[in-house]
Amino acid sequence: MHSLYEIETTVKRSAKSQGLSWGISEEIGKSIRILEQSGLQGLESFKNIVDFGFDNLTKLTDINQKTTTHLCPIHFGIFFQDQSHLKEMHQTFKFESLKEPLISIPFFIKAAKKNLIYFHIHSSEINISITPGEMTSINQNQIPTSINNFSIKVTQQRQQQYSNETWEDLYQLSLETFVEETEEKKLSGAGAGLSDND
Amino acid sequence: MKIELRKPEFVMKLDRLGSFHQSKLSFLRSFIREFKDWDFQTHELKLDNSGFGHGVYVVQKGNKQYSLVCFSNHLDENERSDRVIATKWDASFVLYDGIPSSADIQRLKENVPLQEQGRVTEKELCLSRANKSVRVFEHVVDQLSQGQQPDTSLLYNVGYLYRTTAVYGSGKFGLADRIKIQDREELKGPFRLEMMLVFLARQFTFDVVNHVAYHRSPTTSVKLSDDIARNLGIGNSTGLGMAPFIVNHPALLNQWIMAKEKALRAIRLLESVNEIEKNNFQSYLSTIQDNIKYWKTDSDYQIQKNGQLTNDLKDFQKYFNTKKIEKYFWNEVYEWVEKNTHAECCEFIVSLMMEVYPDIVEPLSYEMSINEENYFDIDTTRNIQDICNLIEKQYTWLLEIDFEQKDNIYNFWYYSKNKQEPRLSDRFSEEGADLELPLAIARDIHHLYKGLKKMDPKKDISFYLSKNQQYRHVLRRVFICEQLPYSEIQDNTISKTLIPVDMLRLKLSFFGATRFDPRSDRWVRITMYQGAPLMKEISLSNDNWSYKKIA
Repeated sequence: MHSLYEIETTVKRSAKSQGLSWGISEEIGKSIRILEQSGLQGLESFKNIVDFGFDNLTKLTDINQKTTTHLCPIHFGIFFQDQSHLKEMHQTFKFESLKEPLISIPFFIKAAKKNLIYFHIHSSEINISITPGEMTSINQNQIPTSINNFSIKVTQQRQQQYSNETWEDLYQLSLETFVEETEEKKLSGAGAGLSDND
Repeated sequence: MKIELRKPEFVMKLDRLGSFHQSKLSFLRSFIREFKDWDFQTHELKLDNSGFGHGVYVVQKGNKQYSLVCFSNHLDENERSDRVIATKWDASFVLYDGIPSSADIQRLKENVPLQEQGRVTEKELCLSRANKSVRVFEHVVDQLSQGQQPDTSLLYNVGYLYRTTAVYGSGKFGLADRIKIQDREELKGPFRLEMMLVFLARQFTFDVVNHVAYHRSPTTSVKLSDDIARNLGIGNSTGLGMAPFIVNHPALLNQWIMAKEKALRAIRLLESVNEIEKNNFQSYLSTIQDNIKYWKTDSDYQIQKNGQLTNDLKDFQKYFNTKKIEKYFWNEVYEWVEKNTHAECCEFIVSLMMEVYPDIVEPLSYEMSINEENYFDIDTTRNIQDICNLIEKQYTWLLEIDFEQKDNIYNFWYYSKNKQEPRLSDRFSEEGADLELPLAIARDIHHLYKGLKKMDPKKDISFYLSKNQQYRHVLRRVFICEQLPYSEIQDNTISKTLIPVDMLRLKLSFFGATRFDPRSDRWVRITMYQGAPLMKEISLSNDNWSYKKIA
């Protein structure tokens, strides 16, 4: 399993390798870190949008834009994180489709806390409310009035939420932000000598 | 009397930051203060006659335990390469959370000597490796095995038996994330675990030479004397890997500098000073002037700086000899130093002044950490005019730089593919500038400012961000700098005139490094813990060990 630091930096670098700006890459790195720390499959979701291709996703840059199919969850989340303090944003908007909505959630949580606002995301597939409180609410009807024969496991051990193949693919992408070193660069770029025998 | 903190535009220039010296705030010294009442024990030392094998050192207090697991391996001379291409080392170290089982040690034995190529787990906290200083190691073993103590002039000219080349922590290579340990009371100060690793590794170097000397000649050998061992530290060879850290952690950098600046201001604000305090300062000054002769370097840059320091200290001594105690004595001393000496001497005197006042300085070491996540988010409610004003106020120094000029954008920072470490190269003759790391802060804030000036100043910054995300990474820094004034190095980190070793020196001085020996403008060797108490005497430490005569 990988540390949260490794997850954050690998996602940040692989996002950069896909053409996102450093600032956005930093945001997505932190977002996936939060999801993984929360036991959610952030890395797998991120891998899915990488596989789908950022060129095939639609960036939300204007709340009134016409095309809203295959919305990119990173730009969708960051748009609401950045814009939802504005009064004109406090209404209901409709969009056609959003890829990997899980990725947007950490951004909504930040926006909700910062601006003391509520997001109610509703579709036939999902019904979730994100609030400025410490708990993200789930449908009350999904909680039974009593439970029986149940157990609680308390552990410090985080569970790996992604496959080794997903990690390896993203890790290889992250290496695309690195520069191949020539022998000359090894000397000039790092400045160190080659022998430590003194 | 009103004395302000020194201004960021004065302090945050690289030539000054690159002149910082170790002080009471340095992390290795605050580590010893924090852990001096803990129990330090050699738990296990399983070495063969040549000194190869492993050792475990345990640090504990109550039910809290940390262990350093050390591995010593055979290394051919042709494998003892410096950090650029090294894949093997004489020794490797891992700091374990608790006491490792034999299964843990076996697992670590298979991974820790491989360093970046191995994997560790969240049970492990820090990772490092070191090479012998061959000439010193052989000399010491040879002498001890013959029943003699080694030649101290050789030893003190080098300063250590082993030299580390990296100390990794905070989640790298599978190590525990910072979040796992950040709430532990004993780890509130910065880099506590890294400092623990290096302190215990130093003990391992002594144990190895004693062990090898004994097995070379059991009947005649003697142990390295405590007095000599105490005056040996552990070396470190550091390249550019350290430089981006201080750019990538602006909030943390602010805390380090702010602690120092608060200490200086508090001392300058002392209305009355007594003879004892003045004499203490003089005593530290005299000792350290003697020790400066052991600061050996072949670097013209550092030779010039050390020369300036020596000359400035002579002038300072004349001034100080005749300076009578009067109100706000230290403020007058500081003002004289700032006016009459170079940055190297000025910062040296600041460190010395801090020695005299532990009650003022030591509590500030607990203010040197920060939760950086609290400063990550951008306040998008602010309007564009606001941001322009902030840039004009905080980044005045960069607005006049012409980033069309080749020399001002000469370098680019990147990660090397084979070592995954930061590097710096000439963008006009080397390939890879398209993969530049976001460390060109001055250039990017300059471009952000130009972009903002073209927009409606009354609009929120959220409006700008809906159209432009290219400079998001520096926009957040503008907000950080508004709250944390010492968060930004006020120099162009991609200019042709950049001296990267200044960035290394800044960080290393806060670690507590001494004897800066730049091997080029981007690689430096230093010594840590020289003069520090030995593991068995840490409880007796009075924190004056940095100012003991070396010989």
